[in-house]
Amino acid sequence: MKKFAMGNEILAQAAFDAGAKIMFGYPITPTTEVLSTWIKLAEKSGRKYLQTEDEMAAGFGVCGAVLAGVPAFTATAGPGTILMQDPLVMAEALRLPFVVFIGQRGGPSTGQVVYSQQEVNLAIYGGNNEGLRIVYSSSGLQDLYTYGIKAFNVAWKYRFPTILLYDGYQGKMKGVVEIPDKKLKEVKTEPILTKNMRNTYNLEEELAEEVLKAKDEFEKNSKELIEYEEFQTEKAEVLIFAHGIVSSAVKEAVKSLRKKKIPIGLFRPITLSPFPIKKAALVLQKAKQIIVFESSLGQFSRIIKEKIYWVNIPLVEVFKPGVGFTPEEIEKTVLSLLT
Amino acid sequence: MENPRFPKCFKISSKPHKFCPGCGYGIILKNLGWVIDELEIQKEIILLTDIGCNLLSWDFFDFPTAQTHHGRTVSTAVGFKMANPQKTVVCLIGDGGGYAIGLQNLIHACLRNSPITVILVNNTNYGMTGGQFAPTTVDKQITDSTPFGKDPKILGKTFKGPELLKGIAWEKAYIARGSTLKPEILKNYFKIALESQKRGDFSFVEVISACPLNWETDAKETLERLEKLEEFFSQGELK
Amino acid sequence: MKILLTGEGGQGVQVAGEILALAAFFENKKVSLIPNFGVEQRGGVSLVFLEIGENGYPKFDQADILAIFCDRAIERIKKHIGKDTKIILGPAVISKKIPGVSNLFRVEGGNLPAKVWNILVLKEIIRLTKIVKIETLKKALEKKFKEKFKENPEIKRINLKALE
Repeated sequence: MKKFAMGNEILAQAAFDAGAKIMFGYPITPTTEVLSTWIKLAEKSGRKYLQTEDEMAAGFGVCGAVLAGVPAFTATAGPGTILMQDPLVMAEALRLPFVVFIGQRGGPSTGQVVYSQQEVNLAIYGGNNEGLRIVYSSSGLQDLYTYGIKAFNVAWKYRFPTILLYDGYQGKMKGVVEIPDKKLKEVKTEPILTKNMRNTYNLEEELAEEVLKAKDEFEKNSKELIEYEEFQTEKAEVLIFAHGIVSSAVKEAVKSLRKKKIPIGLFRPITLSPFPIKKAALVLQKAKQIIVFESSLGQFSRIIKEKIYWVNIPLVEVFKPGVGFTPEEIEKTVLSLLT
Repeated sequence: MENPRFPKCFKISSKPHKFCPGCGYGIILKNLGWVIDELEIQKEIILLTDIGCNLLSWDFFDFPTAQTHHGRTVSTAVGFKMANPQKTVVCLIGDGGGYAIGLQNLIHACLRNSPITVILVNNTNYGMTGGQFAPTTVDKQITDSTPFGKDPKILGKTFKGPELLKGIAWEKAYIARGSTLKPEILKNYFKIALESQKRGDFSFVEVISACPLNWETDAKETLERLEKLEEFFSQGELK
Repeated sequence: MKILLTGEGGQGVQVAGEILALAAFFENKKVSLIPNFGVEQRGGVSLVFLEIGENGYPKFDQADILAIFCDRAIERIKKHIGKDTKIILGPAVISKKIPGVSNLFRVEGGNLPAKVWNILVLKEIIRLTKIVKIETLKKALEKKFKEKFKENPEIKRINLKALE
C-alpha cells in the first residue's frame, strides 16, 4: 500500500514492523520525529519508549534492553552521534545487536541542523574501535523503510552494531513510500546476558584475541552483508562514486548525460561497512576516470581510496561539506571535468 | 566441597577474588551473596558493574553479570529492567561512576523511580586508577590528585549522595547508607533494597568502604578511618 | 515539475508545500518534497522544494514555478530563477518587480486574512500549471487540517473560501 509520509516517520514505522519493542531517544534535529512517531505507535500497541536525559543514556538503555533479549533502538544526529560512540563501542565489544538511525547534519560542533554526509567517520570508526559495525547508507524514502527493517534482522543475526546512516534531507523529506500490506515476520531474538560478560581485559593478548575473532567473523559474513547498486555502468568509461541521497541526484544527472551520449555510470555502495571492494574494482576494470561526489570533505572518498588503492585510474573529488548537490549541478560539473 | 560460609551464588572458580587485601568489596559482595541466597533469587538476578574496582566482580557470582561503561551502569540497568521487568537488576558502582560521570543518570533514574537497585561503594577515592580524589573525598584528604590536601574552595564540597537523592525520590523509594564495619546492618539494607525493587520502587544503598592501598593505611588505621567516615557520612536509612 | 515555495517562518510555506504534495499523492502522481529552514521557530528562512511527476530527488537549481511569500526571501532564491521560471508574488510581497524577470504573477489578498494567503498562492500555482485539480487540493487541505477544521469551523470556512 502506498503511503505519503515523512522520512523520520517511515523509520519509526520500519522499526515497529521489524519487531522493535523499545525506543530510547534524546531529541535532536533532524531526527526528532522518529521518537514522536514511535511514541504514538507504541502507545497504541503496548510497546515501550523512554526519552532519556542524554544520548549516552539512550544508547546504554538500548544496550540494557538487548542484553535482556528485547529488540530496541535509538536515533540521533551530529553532537548526539558523538555521545552515542560510548554505547556503540560497548556494543561492539560485547557483540550486541545495537540498532541506531543516524540522521547526518552539518558539522563540526552544533553546525547546522539540515543536512550533511559528515558522519561517515563516526558511523564506522567513531569510537576507540576497529570499525566492526554494519553501516547502510540509504538513498531515499523507500530505502529508509527497507533498511530500517533490515537493520534489526542483520543486527540480531550477526551481532554487530548496525547503523542506518541517513541525513536531514531524507529525514524531513515527504513523499510516497510502499509499505507491505501483509504483516512482516518480527526479528528473532533471545536473551544475551546469560552468563558473565566483560569488556575489560588484563593483558594485551587477551583482548587482541577477542578483537581478531570478531574481525574474522565480520570478514566471513561480509559476503552476505555487502550491498551495492550499479546504475548504467555498462560500457561506462567514467564512473561516479556516491552514496546516500547524493546518489539519487547522481542518477538523474547520469540519465541526462547518457542522453548526451556520455559513457558514464554510477557505482553506489549501499553498505559503507563492509565495503563492496570486489564489485567496485570489477566495475572499474574498463573505466578511465572516477569522480566522487559527497557532502563532506572526503569521509567517503577516503574509504574508496583505501579500499581500492591498487586501481590505477585518475580520481577527481567533488566535495561540498554539509551542502547538497542538485542533478543539474552534477551534470554541469561532470561536463566541465570531461572537457 | 562446598564451603558452607560462602554464599551459594558465588562462582567458586573465580575465588580467591582479585580485590586488594583489606578492600571492602569482599565484605560487601559476600553479604550481598547471602541476601541473594536467602531471598532465593539467584535465577532472576542480573548484576551490572561500572568501570573501576567494581568491574572485578564481573565473574564473582554464578549469575549473569556484565561490565558496562564508566558512569553508564544505571542507564544500562534502566534499559534492561524496561525490557525484562521480571528480572531483579542490581548496579554495583563506585563513588566516581555514581557521583561524578554517572551522577546525571543516577538522578534521573531516581526521578523516574526506576525499579532498580543501586549499590554504590564509597571509599572516598578513585581506586583503580591510583587513588585520585572523588566527589566523596573529604576536606584536607590527601589523594593522588590532591597531594596537598583537598581544598573545597577549589574542588567543591564533599558530596552526600543519599541526602541529595532523598530530596527527589518518590515516597516509597528506599535510600540507605551503611558501612563495611557493620556488615549485619548492611546485609539488612541490601535485603530491604531488593525487596523494594520487587515492589516496584527505586532503591539505593551507599556503602562506606575501605581502600587501604590508596589510603596508605594499615589495619588499625583503616578501621579508625572507617569509624571517622561513619560519623561524617551519616549511617542509617534515609527513606 | 519543479516547484519552489519560499518565505519566512509563520507564513505557512511548509504547510502549503505539504498540501500541494498531498494533493499530488491523491492523484497517484510521483511526488517528493524537502523543507529547508533555520532554527528559529518564527521569522527566519523557510523554503520548500517540490518535485511532482518525476524522479525521487526533490532538490533542484532552476524552478519551473517559484512562489515568493515575502520580500526578504527574494535575495535568497535568485539562483533558482531561470529564463522559463514563472514567479508568483504572494499578497505579503511589497516589491512590484524583480530585476531581469518578466514572468511575474501577483496574488492579491483581497479581504481574506493573512493566515490563508498561502492558500491563495496555491490556487495561483494550480491556475498556472494545472498540476493537480482544485478538488484534490481541497481534499488535501481537509485531510491536513482535519483536527483544526473540526475544532474551529471558522478556520475551515476561511480556508475553503480562499480556494474558490
